[in-house]
Parts: sequence; C-alpha cells; structure tokens
Amino acid sequence: MIRNVGKLLRKTKEKKSLIQNDYQDSKPADELDVSFSQNVETLRSVYDNCSDVMFRSFLLFGKTRAMLIYIAGLSDIEAIEQYVLSPLMQEASKEPQPLNEFIEHKMPVPKVVKVNMLADCIESISSGNPILLYEGESDGFSLGLSKWEKRAIEEPVAEGGVRGSREGFIESLEVNTSQLRRIIKSPALKIQSMKIGTLTRTNVSIAYIDGLVDKSLIEEITTRLERIKIDGILESEYIEEMIEDNPFSPFPQIMSTERPDVACSSLLEGRAVILVEGTPFTLIAPISFFSLIQSQEDYAQRFMAGTFIRWLRYFFMGLSLLLPSLYVAILTFHHEAVPTALLLSVAASRESVPFPAIVEALAMEITFEALREAGVRLPKQVGSAVSIVGALVIGQASVQAGLVSAPMVIVVAITGIASFMMPRYIAGITFRMLRFPMMLLAGTLGLLGIMMGIIAIVIHLCSLRSFGVPYLAPLAPLKGKELKDVLWRAPWWMMDTRPSFTGDSNVYRQAPEQGPNPKRGSETE
Amino acid sequence: MEKGKISSLQMAFLMYPTIVATAVLGVPSITAKYAKTDLWLSPILASLIGFATVYIAYKLHKLYPKQTVIQFSEQIIGRVPGKILSFLFLFFYIPITGQILRSYGEFIVDSFLVKTPISVIMASMVLLCAFIVRGGIEVLGRAAQLFVPVFILPLLLLIILLGADLEFKNIFPILGNGIMPPIKGSIIPGGWFSEFFLMIFLLPFLTDMKKGMKYGMMTVFAVMMTLVVVNLIVLFVLGSTTSTKIYPMMNVSRYISLADFFEHLESAIMAVWIVGAFVKISVFYYAAALGTAQWLNLSDYRPVVWPIGILIVEFSFWSYPSSMDVSRYDIVAFPFHGVLMQTIIPLLLLVIALIGKRNRQRKGSNSS
Repeated sequence: MIRNVGKLLRKTKEKKSLIQNDYQDSKPADELDVSFSQNVETLRSVYDNCSDVMFRSFLLFGKTRAMLIYIAGLSDIEAIEQYVLSPLMQEASKEPQPLNEFIEHKMPVPKVVKVNMLADCIESISSGNPILLYEGESDGFSLGLSKWEKRAIEEPVAEGGVRGSREGFIESLEVNTSQLRRIIKSPALKIQSMKIGTLTRTNVSIAYIDGLVDKSLIEEITTRLERIKIDGILESEYIEEMIEDNPFSPFPQIMSTERPDVACSSLLEGRAVILVEGTPFTLIAPISFFSLIQSQEDYAQRFMAGTFIRWLRYFFMGLSLLLPSLYVAILTFHHEAVPTALLLSVAASRESVPFPAIVEALAMEITFEALREAGVRLPKQVGSAVSIVGALVIGQASVQAGLVSAPMVIVVAITGIASFMMPRYIAGITFRMLRFPMMLLAGTLGLLGIMMGIIAIVIHLCSLRSFGVPYLAPLAPLKGKELKDVLWRAPWWMMDTRPSFTGDSNVYRQAPEQGPNPKRGSETE
Repeated sequence: MEKGKISSLQMAFLMYPTIVATAVLGVPSITAKYAKTDLWLSPILASLIGFATVYIAYKLHKLYPKQTVIQFSEQIIGRVPGKILSFLFLFFYIPITGQILRSYGEFIVDSFLVKTPISVIMASMVLLCAFIVRGGIEVLGRAAQLFVPVFILPLLLLIILLGADLEFKNIFPILGNGIMPPIKGSIIPGGWFSEFFLMIFLLPFLTDMKKGMKYGMMTVFAVMMTLVVVNLIVLFVLGSTTSTKIYPMMNVSRYISLADFFEHLESAIMAVWIVGAFVKISVFYYAAALGTAQWLNLSDYRPVVWPIGILIVEFSFWSYPSSMDVSRYDIVAFPFHGVLMQTIIPLLLLVIALIGKRNRQRKGSNSS
C-alpha cells in the first residue's frame, strides 16, 4: 500500500519535472554572437521550416553585410521599404558614423530597441517587429514596425444596449488599451503588461487606476497571473479559471465584458481589468454577485427606469431558477396552494399527459437547452429550420399529441426568456444549470426541497469570495449605504461613494449634494 | 479556532430567528393554555428572562472577552469542575439541537410531507446546517442577514392580509382572572428567552464588542414584540380556541383569502419558516461544534462538525420516542432545564467570577 503511494508520488514528480524541462527548452538563454554570420545561422536554424519568416539580406551603405528578419503579414512592409531599407541602402559615400548611432537615433522608425539576447530577438520577430543585424555589431535592433490585419471596432455582440456607447473591444490588445485610455485620459490609469503561455506568448495587461485601487489587489492579481504555467492562452477564460478563488463554483467570480464602458466603470470603482490578447472579452476583478446582474444600460437611462428594469431583472432571475421547480412542486405536493379554478384548468390540460410533472419538466427543459445551443452553433442558412422545429414540432405538436401539457410549454418558455434577461451571458447559464438540481429537489421533496436548494445556494454564495471581496457584498455583509446600487439604481447625484470593498482607499467619487435644486439655481443668478 | 468576525448587527440577525423560529409556532397555543385571553402579556413577562440572560452573558463576556463559556468556566471554578460544567453545557446543547431538529421534522411531517420518513427531512436539514457551520461564523452571519428579512416580511404580510379576519374584541377581558395566568403562561416562553445565552458563543467574534449588549437587548425586545404581535393575531383570529391547536400560526394562515385567488398559503408560510428553522438549528449546531472543539482543546472545530451532526440526528431519535414526547419536553422540562442551564448557572458563574475578582484585587492591594 505504502509502496504504491510512493510510486504514485514519484510518478507525479516525474511528470512535473518533465513539464518544466519542456518549458525551459523553448527558451534559449544565449546572447547574440559577435559574428554576424553565426547569428544569422542560429536564427535560420531556429526558424527552420518556417516559410513565413523572411530573411532579407542586403548591403548597408553598399558595403556592410546586413540582414533584416521579419514575418510576412506581421510587419508593415511599406514602412520597411520606405523608412528602413531605402535610407540604409544608400551609396557608401553617405554612410554616417557611427552606424549604430544612426540606426538608433536617426532612422524614422517609431521605436528602435537594441537587443542582445537571442530570446529577445525571437520575441521581437514573433510579435512582428523586424530585427536588423549587420556585420561588426554584436547587438541586433528591433524595429517597431509591427502591423497586422485586425477587425474594425464593432458593436459588442454579446452585450447589446439601446443607449450608451456602441463600441466593443476587439482581439487586438493595443486597440483595447487605447479604448480604455480614450475614456480615462488621466495618467493615473496604469496598464501593466506581461506575457503568458510558453508557446503563444500571449500579451496580458492589467489595467487599474492608481490611487483608487487597493495596491495589494494588484499584487495579488500579478502573483496569481505569474503562477500560470501553460503552453497557450487562447481566451480570457483560461486565465479566469486559473486565478479565481473557488474553482468549483457554478458562479463566476471574475466578470468578463466586451464593452470598454463597462470596463472603465469598474476601473472607476477601484477594480482591476485584465485584458488578454486575442479575445474581445476582458476580465474584471474583484466583482460581487450584483455586478453580474447590473447592465451598463441601468446607468444610461433615467434612474427610475433603471430601477424598474433592475427589479424586473431580479424577479425574472428568480423565475429562471425556480419557475419549473415551483410548477413541479405545486403540482406534485401542494395542490391546495393553487386556486381551484386554476387547478382545474391545469389538471384538464394534464389529463392526457402520461408523465409525472417532474419528467415532463425535465424533458422540456432539456429540449429547450438543446434548442438554444443548436441555435448558437448552427450556420445562419439553416437557422429557420431550427426555429420551425422548435416552435411547431416541440411546442405545438407535442401538446396536440398529448405528450406535454400546454402549461408546461408556457413555463418552459417563460423560464427561457427569463434566463436571457441576465445582462451577462455567463451568469444566465449559471442559473440555467442550477435549475436542474432544483427541479429534482422539487420533484422529491416539494417546496421543502426547493427551500433546501435555495438555502444551499445561499450558503455557497455567502462563503464565496472574489479576490477577498465577499460575493454578496453589499447585501451580506450588509453595507446600508451601498444598497444604493443594489436595491435601486440611485440617481447619479446620489452616487457619492465608491463600493467600500474595492474603492476604500478613495471613498468619494463626486462632490456631495449635487442634486438639482431650483432654489440653488436662483441663488447663483 | 474561529478566525472570522461578525458585526453586532449580524449577531442580532442570528439571534432573532434562533428564538423566534420555533417560538412563533408553539408559543401561542402554549401560552393560551395558561393565560387564555391574556396570552399576549406572557411574552412580555417572559422577556425579562431574556433581558437578564443577555445581561449575564454580556457581563461574563466582558470579564473574559476572548472566550466562550466552555473556556472561561474552567478559569472561574477550576480545571476539573470547569470541565465537568462545560460537559454539562455540551450535554445540554447537543441534545437540545436534536430536540429542535425533531420538532422541525415533526412539524414538516405532520403538516406537509405526510409520507416522507422523518429521518430524511431531519438528515437533509442537518446536512445543510453542517455546510454552513463548516463555513464559519462569517458565512453564518451573512446568511442570517439574507434570511431574516425573508423570514420577517411574510410575517408582516400575513398580518396585513389577515386584516379582514381580525376580531379585536377577542382580547377582552384583560386580566379577567388576575395577573397569575399570564405569569404561568410566561414560564414556558421563558425557556425560549433563556436561549439568548447562545450569545456567549458569538460575542467573542464581534468586530464591535461594545455594541454587543445594545444589540442583544434590542434583539430581546424585537423577539418580545414579535411574539406579542403573533399572539395577538392568533387571539384575534382564533379567539378562545387557540389553546386547542398545535400550530396556531398555520391555522391562522389558512384564513387568508385575497380576491379568491391567494388562498391556502400555508405551504408558502412553511417554506419561509424553514429558513428560520435553518438559522436556529445552525446557531445551536455551531455553538455545539465550537464548544466541543474547545472542550477537547482542538485547534479547529471543523473536524467535529460531521460527527456532531450525526450525534444531533441520533439524539433527536434517542431522546424522544414520539412526537408527543417532543412537545411534552417542550412544555414540562425545557422551561426549567433551559433556564437552569442558560440563565441560573451562568448567573452563578458570574457571581463566583465577580467574587473571585474582588478577592484577587483585595489580595493585590494588600500585598502591594
């Protein structure tokens, strides 16, 4: 027994060391050689069988052998031609002295960096910055001429809105940070960068506002990010799952958004934003549960409308979790709670249905989830087919055939609508998932089971934390003052303070008592 | 042991359902048995025990601010007697948690899930409570903050919806048979009010210890008002038949009829009441687990949570052969057992501690 455990331990140790070796191999730590041809040779062997890497050899001012290395499609060819090759390929008589001085300071290129490590050379080439090497110089020059195809800024797809900014993040990290900088022009907006992923070398930036954010939070995020050892980051979700507080929770403890305005409003509340190259979805941490059910549009319309919508959303959030289970519980265990007339009509429509309510509900809910998923995946051309199947076959035909009762179809439809009312898709899916255990509980213990399920969810939510911030703040622990953004959407002139758990270092966000007051107006006149 | 901290408001939110949850069901008919139409006076008299218990608990807490009764009883009366006394406390709290659990299960099985085995209902509740107890006092405090409004609002709603059925003249005659019936009726609720001694397990973890007394007293007052209002509502609706019902609140909730549509809300009331029962059992369970760990000088109380959960379920069966015995214990034994353990013994502890302190001071001043 003990020997087995020992073997097991040894095996995992071996595995670990294997992975570490793997990572070290891909990171050459050598310096560039003094010899030009040796350097070219090394780089050629590194980029062996990479047909997209261009080695452009030429003569610097007619006599010095030089090599420009770049990747096709990642660098600005026109700029290379105009600002690098043409000034450097002049006649020998025009050769300036010293040469490296000229390249570093007199070439019309936005950014020139001297590199002397092989790894840095490779890094630079891979990110689209051409490397210039020439004979007699042991350093290379990285020219900041990267340029690649990217999508235009478009309307965010997953988070629409009627009023408010229509810009969304895109896949390019530089464009995304520039969008943040365009909204928050203060130099207090700090953006720290790092590279994660041994193969993808994905750029990851942490944005925060100096003076608002808790310094220890940034340290914590940085250490958690630095701990990630992975071959590649393709989506911010990879990072989210690697740094969140409780990985075994159905509730997201880090919010993702593709809207710059949402990211900026979080920054202003003293939260940190993690931007990841290659995905329009940026991460916001720390969050509370209520961040997930607040939409930017609550703040972009009159506060009464915002409050109304918010309450509607709370109500339907409850429905999306509970409606099918309440229906099952009441039909199975608590007939007496239904008014007689209603009970009669429900019973009449259920007369021919051969299944118990719980089976009926589970079948319909699963079908609905399948329809939803199919609707997301399927090519646009066959979209109408699914909607016909969904509406006619499952909706109408199954009721007519007596397999499903009409009230059940209504319940499923309302639940489906309710689950899409969540402004964050990821939160909606959490509730859709939790609906199934709730239905099973309702089918076995009735209302008691539903209460048990709710209590279990609340216990879980109460124990969750997002980067140290209690998940249900400001409701539990109760912060009376901050309910202004939870129980209702207070008018902007009442939003004096930042949330205490994130913006504690700089509590006030605006001058107090700015409420529009006709009297005050007449005083100044 | 317990690293979490709660605010005194959270303590109040924890203590309120701890008393009210079960009292709201049983107290009206029990007090009606003795006090008849004066049943609303009984909670007021009984609350005196509550105020006294909070006072004693707070005074003890001030003498030993970082400790619970399990720890400081050793310091007050010596190591071996202290251990024995602490064991008595544990042997009080663990079975009493079982008793609460049993009455919860009996209520659910009696009124709603007639065919479900009571062990399933009790075990599922203990499971949930074990989760929250393992989560620590912070989770407990936060959950209470969410649950108590859920518990109180329907109570208020009930009163409003019952407006049409209230017969205010049922209250007369006031004190028709003198003051003795309400006093007799207050003895049993007194047992409930003595449960405020559980505060001693929460006070060491307060962030704002000075407010502990204030919020404790306010909670007693809130509980008293709730019970008075509930007793009055039951009296106004049911009149002299109150004492014949086991759970008068449930009978009362059947009177609700709004627009011929909202009727028979008792299952909704039950659903809400479960929340209160959950907080109550959790607080008792937490005290039992924390106390056991402290009694055994463990470094963490979490390892004992599951064993104690099993013990609680066992005690709920061992102690009471039938549901009649559960309610008999509530009426005959608990008022005396509860008050003895939670008010009188702590009072004695406090007196001994104060005398000991004075002696020590005198000695100190003599020697110097």
